[in-house]
Amino acid sequence: MACTSNNPAQRRFFYRFAVAMLLYAAALVLSILGFVHYRPTGVLAYLLAVLPALPIFVMLAVIGVYLAEETDEFVRNLQIQALLGGIGGTLAVVSVWGFLEDLAHVRRLDLLLVYPLFWVFVGISTVVVRLRYR
Amino acid sequence: MKNRLRVLRAERNWSQADLAQRLEVSRQSVNAIETGKFDPSLPLAFKLARLFGATIEQIFSDESES
Repeated sequence: MACTSNNPAQRRFFYRFAVAMLLYAAALVLSILGFVHYRPTGVLAYLLAVLPALPIFVMLAVIGVYLAEETDEFVRNLQIQALLGGIGGTLAVVSVWGFLEDLAHVRRLDLLLVYPLFWVFVGISTVVVRLRYR
Repeated sequence: MKNRLRVLRAERNWSQADLAQRLEVSRQSVNAIETGKFDPSLPLAFKLARLFGATIEQIFSDESES
């Protein structure tokens, strides 16, 4: 998402998103260290494994809060289009890859790549949308 | 949708940034509305009308009607 420095909603978004990313990094380190040092099993293993995913939920919620707080309807429209581009691009790639896996036996896609892939497509869509309205 | 924003703005010697500041939106928003690439919501259209002391119909016109 593009940042307009004098847009308070975007400033809050980037601050909250940065905090969520720090939480993600901390949760990831905690989870890996937990598995390396304690080799948990059962419910604890499941809980520790999904720990890094929780900040991702926070990031997604931060996007929702931003869209609700953005008072500039044109900017909100651009961001929604960019997010839809991100969702559409990700779904398209994952669907195509799924068929390639099943039928052409290509390498299995690591599901952890789906979320970063979404942001790659959001970035591409942001550029495309901005160019359209330039 | 066609509009007379550029004319109304010029009459007051306002830049796009000036109008954006008065509307509390970005300059890009004003540019997009002015060039007809983005149609404002009713609340924003009313805000524009109030700002220019005109009715919405005096600022915006439906292209399909002309």
